[in-house]
Amino acid sequence: MTETLAAAPVFEKADQLPEDVRAPLRDLILALADSKRILGLRYSDRMLGSPTLEAGIAASSMAQDEWGHARLTYALLGDLGDEPKTLEHERAAAEYRSIGALDADLPGWAGMTAAALLVDTALSVQYAALLDSRYTPVHNRVQKLLDEEKFHFQYAAGWARRIAQVPELRDELVDALRRYLGPALAWFGRDEAASVQALVRAGVVRGEPSALRARYLAKVGPVLDETGTAEALGVIRDGGEWTWTGRQDWAGWDDATRRAGGELDEETAARARGDKNRALLMD
Amino acid sequence: MKEPVYEVFARKTREEPLRHIGFINAMDGDLARIYAWKTYDEQNWAEMCVIPRSAIIPIDPGESQFVTAARDDHEDEIVHSRGTGSYGGGDVAVKEAP
Repeated sequence: MTETLAAAPVFEKADQLPEDVRAPLRDLILALADSKRILGLRYSDRMLGSPTLEAGIAASSMAQDEWGHARLTYALLGDLGDEPKTLEHERAAAEYRSIGALDADLPGWAGMTAAALLVDTALSVQYAALLDSRYTPVHNRVQKLLDEEKFHFQYAAGWARRIAQVPELRDELVDALRRYLGPALAWFGRDEAASVQALVRAGVVRGEPSALRARYLAKVGPVLDETGTAEALGVIRDGGEWTWTGRQDWAGWDDATRRAGGELDEETAARARGDKNRALLMD
Repeated sequence: MKEPVYEVFARKTREEPLRHIGFINAMDGDLARIYAWKTYDEQNWAEMCVIPRSAIIPIDPGESQFVTAARDDHEDEIVHSRGTGSYGGGDVAVKEAP
């Protein structure tokens, strides 16, 4: 098995990729980049009015991180035939492929915490599946990004623990976590999708969606358990594995966009594109 | 609930000693690490540490910037309480809580 892996080809450029991998890889990278951009925007809306000055500074820094990650990720699409600047500044709202859970504002500080814990971590797990990708351009960028994400996870876990200790805020936290958990789990996609199979078969993505869901639950499950919210969310430890007892609804699911209908609103897209200062945009 | 104070120490290279660069308020050590890293990010630090102010034992509390005010709930209680003699001394002058 090891010999087989060692002998497998690496792809240093997109034009070396198998034909059936290029489009799914482009779809995946665009979904990651758009989700990062919108997550950064949602974080930025919460950095003022945070519970403490330090929490606000950290939220501001996390927003910057997300926009930096988005920029790095859009840049990867240049190799796949896109013009990154056009993707960043020229698309209509309907063309955004950010995770649907971020179409709306984060509901309060509990929402900020829940999104950081459940949405941000989902993106990190998907990025981590590119760490050993046979498509080498992603390697260096992904490692740096994941190093920064460790702080985001600790931040989210710390705040989840804190909010869970406040009786009058517990229900709000559970509601916010529930709002993001199902969509985050769905966002990894369907194992049986031909596009997913092509990416995994080529060694470009390391792990099918079900495997990524398991890695994701292994990461967030202990925090949900520690905060006493796991049971209410249907997250249980079954032997050595964390599982979700909820039912995934794939109605309307689009494997390419990783969305089940709906779209980003034009106002949010305008902010993501930087419309207000478009006249100052440099080439 | 009042947040504990964490002192922040850092150094730019492995060769230089850690130096005190500031403080932050945080609910626990995990958040203190993040807040410190994100707040004092003006340098490319080789190492950064956070230390609960309550864990610092000033040799001369009267002159120290690190004395933690004792509180009713004992959460940030002064570690070097009177007469412990833990550093070979007798009673020390302790700053009173404001």
